[in-house]
Amino acid sequence: MTTSAEIAVERQGAAVIARLNGEVDMTNAEYVGKELAGSVPNDAGALVVDLSETRYLDSAAIELLFDLARRLRRRRQALRLVLPPDSPLKRVLELTDIAVAATVHPSLDEALAPPETPV
Amino acid sequence: MAELGQRALAGLPLEELLDEAVAVSARELGAEFVSLLELTGDGRRLLIRAGHGWPEGVVGGVLPTDAYELPGFAVRAEGPVIVDDFASEERFEPSEVQREVGIVSSLAAPIGSAGRYFGVLGVHSRERGFFSRDDAHFTQAVANVVGAAAQRSRAEEGVRDSEARFRELADTTPALMWTTDSEGHISFVNEGWLRFTGRTLAEELGESFAISAHPEDRDELTRNWEAALSRREEFNGEYRLRHHDGEYRWVQETGVPRFAGGEFLGYVGTATDIHERRLMEEALRESEQTFRELADTAPVMIWTTDPEGLVSFVNEGWLRFTGRRLDEELGASWTVGVHPDDAEEVLASWLRALEARDRWQREYRLRRQDGEYRWIVDRGTPRYEGGRFVGYVGTATDIHERRTMEERLRRVYEREHRIAETLQRSLLPERLPEIDGVAMAARYLPAGKGAAIGGDWYDALERGDGRVALVVGDVVGHGLRAAAAMGQLRNACRAYALVESSPAEVIAHLHRLLTSGGEETMATVLYLVLDRETGEVSFTSAGHPPPLALTPAGPRFLEGGPSVPVGATDPAAFRETTDKLPAGTTLILYTDGLVERRDVPLEDRLEQLRAAAEAARGGLEDICDQVLHGILGSLDPVDDVALLAVRPEPASAERLTVSLAAEPASLADLRRRLGRFLHAASASAAEQYEITLAICEAAGNAVEHAYGPTDAEFGVEVHIEAGLLTAAVTDSGRWREPRGVERGRGLQIIQGLMEDVEVSSEEGGTVVRMRRRLAAQLAA
Repeated sequence: MTTSAEIAVERQGAAVIARLNGEVDMTNAEYVGKELAGSVPNDAGALVVDLSETRYLDSAAIELLFDLARRLRRRRQALRLVLPPDSPLKRVLELTDIAVAATVHPSLDEALAPPETPV
Repeated sequence: MAELGQRALAGLPLEELLDEAVAVSARELGAEFVSLLELTGDGRRLLIRAGHGWPEGVVGGVLPTDAYELPGFAVRAEGPVIVDDFASEERFEPSEVQREVGIVSSLAAPIGSAGRYFGVLGVHSRERGFFSRDDAHFTQAVANVVGAAAQRSRAEEGVRDSEARFRELADTTPALMWTTDSEGHISFVNEGWLRFTGRTLAEELGESFAISAHPEDRDELTRNWEAALSRREEFNGEYRLRHHDGEYRWVQETGVPRFAGGEFLGYVGTATDIHERRLMEEALRESEQTFRELADTAPVMIWTTDPEGLVSFVNEGWLRFTGRRLDEELGASWTVGVHPDDAEEVLASWLRALEARDRWQREYRLRRQDGEYRWIVDRGTPRYEGGRFVGYVGTATDIHERRTMEERLRRVYEREHRIAETLQRSLLPERLPEIDGVAMAARYLPAGKGAAIGGDWYDALERGDGRVALVVGDVVGHGLRAAAAMGQLRNACRAYALVESSPAEVIAHLHRLLTSGGEETMATVLYLVLDRETGEVSFTSAGHPPPLALTPAGPRFLEGGPSVPVGATDPAAFRETTDKLPAGTTLILYTDGLVERRDVPLEDRLEQLRAAAEAARGGLEDICDQVLHGILGSLDPVDDVALLAVRPEPASAERLTVSLAAEPASLADLRRRLGRFLHAASASAAEQYEITLAICEAAGNAVEHAYGPTDAEFGVEVHIEAGLLTAAVTDSGRWREPRGVERGRGLQIIQGLMEDVEVSSEEGGTVVRMRRRLAAQLAA
């Protein structure tokens, strides 16, 4: 039995969309982190990680999201997460204050919508 | 290629295997350039690990993985990519090196399966459109062998020549296999071998494998084996091996020396039962002879002898052939022109026939006037005049072209057959994976011996959501192509099954895989997802016969969900159907070799299957045997048959006790078991994830702190009473010292998701205890 995640990357305008399907734990977090970081060219404005089909994230996986956000920030790129309202992952991501590192959106469309003017 | 598979099985160092793969591709395809690229750990570059034909310095270099160049494109492709001409190629450009050496056409095959790519195997030519689809299949087959070896090599990193790994591999490989120590004594034989010989492992160990050979074959076999052993060379031989029923059966044996770090360890060998093939070959030879007599139109050479066997006459045809004069041919000197290698045997058989006054016939090489030895068939018949034997009359025919052609065809056929066989053997597990909560049994019957290898497969795996995915499939066609396609589909299906929950979607993925390569491959597939606890099934049948449910109330076919075969038409739509199996049901999946006979309508065969299943008694293994016997009787199937019987065994909803090795890979296993248990306990999706995560964080902590001893374990105990879940994660291995939970975020997660979290150091380890009240149970 192994842990398996698939990442499908797609460019849409200024954003790179990465769909993360499957499971991420301490055995594959490093690989997933490198894949995600490597999928963002310099001219992209944001990386949207779609977690709609992600079934499992452990603390190592959450750590990788924080790490990814740090790396992107240095390149002036934003990290956005797509997390449907009924996702089982929701509570854990709230618990670990993911909002500090990334904006969380209920759907891909909203994640891709132009950012609202800050109030 | 078969050799490559053998060597991969024998644990040839990856480095050497890569070189071999390159050499095989260059030789078999006649490609001017071959490259084997490995994806670096960060996935950003392709390292040129091995190559053929390149200027100095290319091998060892790196290429980018960008999709605008062929290697980067191919590593993202799910099958081989053919470029007929870079000039008209729009998907990508040739790389700098490719341009430099003037490459015009290419073929690239990805190594490894989706999500776990190892790299790319590429072959290149300066000629336009050099590579065919068959070449693509061949290259993909080589890439698959490399991929399997690379995967194994990576998995085994750090474990030096692990015998246990080999044994596991051998026992899941449907062949007779053995290994020897460096002295040539048997150190291991697999289940297949023991089943064949009917001997026990203890009886085989320490002996030579020749001990069960036919007494007439044993000496020669031993001589050849010892000669190979002394030189540590590959060993090949055909001999008769004693079957447990007392009969001797012809087997073909191949032994390959194994080395680890340059040290000779012994041999690994496989034997294949070729008994039927040998008998068939003999029968074939006889019927061919009749055909030849009719088909021969070549100028006939005629001769006669006197009663003593001395030549008394040869015709013009004979003289024209040998270029000699009549007086030179007369008498006893006719064997002068026979090839030295054949002369002794030809003369001996002739004298035997003459003495018994039997008909005589031989194929041998005879020197033609231009000095070339040509194969001829020579036949003699005794002549009588008034009851008195007066000598022989004979005819000889030049059969050289036909014989050479036959020889060539036979070699081509054998090569293809061996590759297909090796592939299939390496791809199809004889033993199913053990999945907690489902009993399974499977059978694979190849079509009648001598027939080409088919493309049938079965598989079972556990999904992350606690359900079990079952698949049976059949690639249309036979031989290497079908076996290669089967391997590709099987691997891809495993990947899709893990990430995709809808059967119709999994099938649609397979369909896209088959149609995207522009290949004309078609397959029927039945893909079914089973919930072990509730008996709910959801399935899609792509042109496949319906699964049979053997319920306590009797057998019934699961109807619905029929769609076209994958790869048949494009676009295609796939439907899925759900059903519910009552408790105690056995599900039977099969490929159509079981129910298809040209002479009987399918409905009747299905009815026969239903009846055979209804009459079957006993455990799953018995059911498999009885169903096969009930349908096929003692006949060999006309097509390959795969049969898979599955019976769900629901989990307890009250208690789960698990003990696992303290290593990261155990966490996935733990998640599956927790998922299943929590599902049985009717926990919600969020509860399942949160509780599983909390327990796995504690277990992950135990794994990360497992110092030194590799046999360390951790234990998990969960029970639910009156809606209250209590879990304890215990380090039970030999720890250096007790320790606390240190991982900040891990502990934060556990405490945020569970109640009453307690970490205590106890004798020999640490225990993390936690509780949580389940909402569903509360409401109940």
